[in-house]
Amino acid sequence: MRARVFYRTLLGFGIAYLFVPVLVVVVFSFNDFKGRRNVSWEGFTLRHWADPFKLPGLSEAVLNSLTIAFLSALISTIVGTLIALALVRYRFRGRATTNLLLFLPMASPEVVMGSALLTLFVVAQVGRGYMTVLLAHILFNLSYAVVTVRARIVGFDRHLEEAAMDLYANEWQTFRRVTLPMIMPGVLAAFMLAFALSFDDFVITNFNSGSMQTFPVFVYGAAKRGVPPQVNVLGTMIFAVMVIAMGIFLFIQNQRQKAQD
Amino acid sequence: MTQGPDSTAGHRTPAVELVGLTKAFGDIVAVDGLTLDISENLFFAIIGPSGCGKTTTLRMIGGFEEPTSGTIRLHGEDVTGTKPYQRPVNTVFQSYALFPHLTIYENVAFGLRRQGVEKSEVDRRVGEMLDLVHLAETSKRKPRQLSGGQRQRVALARALVNHPRLLLLDEPLGALDLKLRKEMQLELKRIQQEVGVTFIHVTHDQEEAMTMADSIAVMRDGKIERMGEPVEIYDDPRSRFVAGFLGASNLMEGQVTGPDGVTLAGGHGFHVTADKLVGLTGTVHVGVRPEKIHLSPEGSSPDHANQLSGVVTDSSFIGVSTHYLVQTRSVGELTVVVQNLGVTRFAPSDSVTLSWDPEHTFVVAR
Amino acid sequence: MTTRTDAATRADRRRRRVPYLLLAPGMIWLLLFYVIPMFGLTITSLQEGSLEQGYVFTGNIGSYVSVFTTYLPQLRNSLLFALGATVIGLLVGYPLAYAIAFYTSRWKSLFLLLILVPFLVPFLLRTLAWRVILADQGAVVSALKTVGLLGENGRMLSTGWAILAGLVYNYLAFMTLPIYVSLDKIEPALLEAANDLYATPWTAFRKVTLPMSMPGIISGTLLTFIPAAGDYVNVELLGNRNWTMMGNVIQSKFLVIIDYPAAAAISFTLMAIIVTMVVIYVRRVGTEELLT
Repeated sequence: MRARVFYRTLLGFGIAYLFVPVLVVVVFSFNDFKGRRNVSWEGFTLRHWADPFKLPGLSEAVLNSLTIAFLSALISTIVGTLIALALVRYRFRGRATTNLLLFLPMASPEVVMGSALLTLFVVAQVGRGYMTVLLAHILFNLSYAVVTVRARIVGFDRHLEEAAMDLYANEWQTFRRVTLPMIMPGVLAAFMLAFALSFDDFVITNFNSGSMQTFPVFVYGAAKRGVPPQVNVLGTMIFAVMVIAMGIFLFIQNQRQKAQD
Repeated sequence: MTQGPDSTAGHRTPAVELVGLTKAFGDIVAVDGLTLDISENLFFAIIGPSGCGKTTTLRMIGGFEEPTSGTIRLHGEDVTGTKPYQRPVNTVFQSYALFPHLTIYENVAFGLRRQGVEKSEVDRRVGEMLDLVHLAETSKRKPRQLSGGQRQRVALARALVNHPRLLLLDEPLGALDLKLRKEMQLELKRIQQEVGVTFIHVTHDQEEAMTMADSIAVMRDGKIERMGEPVEIYDDPRSRFVAGFLGASNLMEGQVTGPDGVTLAGGHGFHVTADKLVGLTGTVHVGVRPEKIHLSPEGSSPDHANQLSGVVTDSSFIGVSTHYLVQTRSVGELTVVVQNLGVTRFAPSDSVTLSWDPEHTFVVAR
Repeated sequence: MTTRTDAATRADRRRRRVPYLLLAPGMIWLLLFYVIPMFGLTITSLQEGSLEQGYVFTGNIGSYVSVFTTYLPQLRNSLLFALGATVIGLLVGYPLAYAIAFYTSRWKSLFLLLILVPFLVPFLLRTLAWRVILADQGAVVSALKTVGLLGENGRMLSTGWAILAGLVYNYLAFMTLPIYVSLDKIEPALLEAANDLYATPWTAFRKVTLPMSMPGIISGTLLTFIPAAGDYVNVELLGNRNWTMMGNVIQSKFLVIIDYPAAAAISFTLMAIIVTMVVIYVRRVGTEELLT
């Protein structure tokens, strides 16, 4: 059918379009450039891959990004799961306000959130650095965590929890043995999403990092002088790791899904 | 109207006592001051149309809904306000609610494990129960690998393995096809008698209830309208609603004229046994079940006391029986069901005489 | 009139507290780090002073005045670019979402993934990649020149088009996914019913698919417009000094020039515009859909 061909072609183009910059990043990590700026292709080399951490401050920045991403993802996922449970399973007053309050950080421009947090820290006379960035990341990850876990909880037969209680499991046992295993995929998805968002974040981090650098902040600083290829290398590595992690996650999900149909 | 047929009056504590049980959801009163005693070892059914409060009542007994007011006593103990896991009751859910991430064995063992039963005992009891429901070979599989009927039996096993003194069933057969449903109905009845546990079965299918139950409560708008043994409430519904709910009722309006007679609008008189007219005067409705009416060709004189003439307007062959619609001159259209015993079948526009015995007539207040 | 025991009532009260306990950590966090800072921003915007002398709250709305006078071009730029990016994003994203929802049957998840995967590359790197792609010596510019769409001395970089391209690209996932989610909820049976009732494919789309995908469209639009309006990275990396947006101003005022009241005023204005839009949306649709 013509429609089918049309849409499939469209999809093909769309995906190609989306992947072009990715390819550029990956390819240019192999660029053997002689000049000052890593802008045009000059030849293939592996030397950047050999010593990716050559640049001063880069390894520290990457480490900061990784740890902040992990911690903020962990905390925001746990807290977000609690909120998602409350939203779906219980009736309470102030539901509309809660929904709105959770939505707003997702909808606020990062500039505004970043600058607002900065103001807070300035007034509270808190030095900007690792902690402030971590706090900020937990903040914006929270909403995304809630949305992700909530989607999973909603699709889950309510009677399963009642059945567990009927079979002598108290609330905690029910949660541990029935609810948690069932929402775990959603929780893990939330964690991965939060990790990616945190690692990737630039604007809010920039406002609140003071002299500490995360990977994006480092890149921004280096970009003025032309992106060093080591950045491409690391970017590619991170990308590869995340893709593999996602692939594994989805594969396991797929197996489990087959088991539940 | 609120005592079961085996009801105690003193010597044995009923399995379930509901006293003034009420549940309101905002403005809507789902269960309205329900008072009911259910004896031990009974297969008890609660039936009624959608929204009558039967499921809500069941859920309150199980502990999944909190009553707005009223008391629930199980074997004499007040359990109002306690959690499901604190009650010696187990439930078979409409959707079965089997834990998808656990094997059949683990599903059935779930309740036992939570109660801290030791391993070898768990093993023995789970094995026994799976044998009872003929599912021993599926113990290592997951729910998704089983058919609907099998899952239903697992749900039953999972509940019974805990030796509850009371089992609640929330329309558990709804999702099964007809043949399977009929099989399961007999199976459930057999298990209940074998295990000797009180079953409370909620369903909207009156035929199912009448097949399985020792005692039935018909609910309407949050209250019990009629309760009793299946035969009793079918043949003597005592209310229009119950009459209509349990099958076709062929109601005809008339006036009570004497201790054993009712005269209909057209002047036609019917004989009714005296016990059916106790306490009733004035305008009433008389009814007779379709299968109790005999059809014979016009002009014949059958020896059943109540007779009418009419013309067949429709006839449907059902296999086991033939359903007729007969238009009478004085009381409208009546439904008649005749077993296909090889006798003559009538066709539309045939003139017939309808007749039935006085004891098969029931009376309901207007 | 009730015959409930004390234990039952106490248990009941405990049960009612549970949701609040669950919500507490997160909500407190949001309160501390979102609500209060936002208030702080408002207050700062009404202050006067400088870094050396300290800031005093005077209720001075001078900063706001300058937002609409001095910075009007940036305000206009922000809104225009955001609008442009949203519209183009919609035109690109909707068909993509549609294609995945209706034309990929078994491979649905795979394609969804393919849409998401590029966004695992850090934001900055993606944007910088566009700088390479749209470079003067690059293939794209050369191609455009050959075709005649670009003059001899034409550039892509440092033009509004580059910024627009960057914006559309970076927020495409935010537009496509919500639309996909609401399209996915449409049962094929509905479209079959429409066809059965004499609707042509185009009419069926207009009267059934489009309205039913509206929540997704609105979500996607909001999630694109809002960040785009506040963006400054795309502008900095792909544009030039002639094109500045609100985001740039805020950034410079906060981090470079350090004029907090002015910066706060601008931030607040941007936020106010956005909140107004969200409120209008919420009034029409309610808050439950927000979190899908």
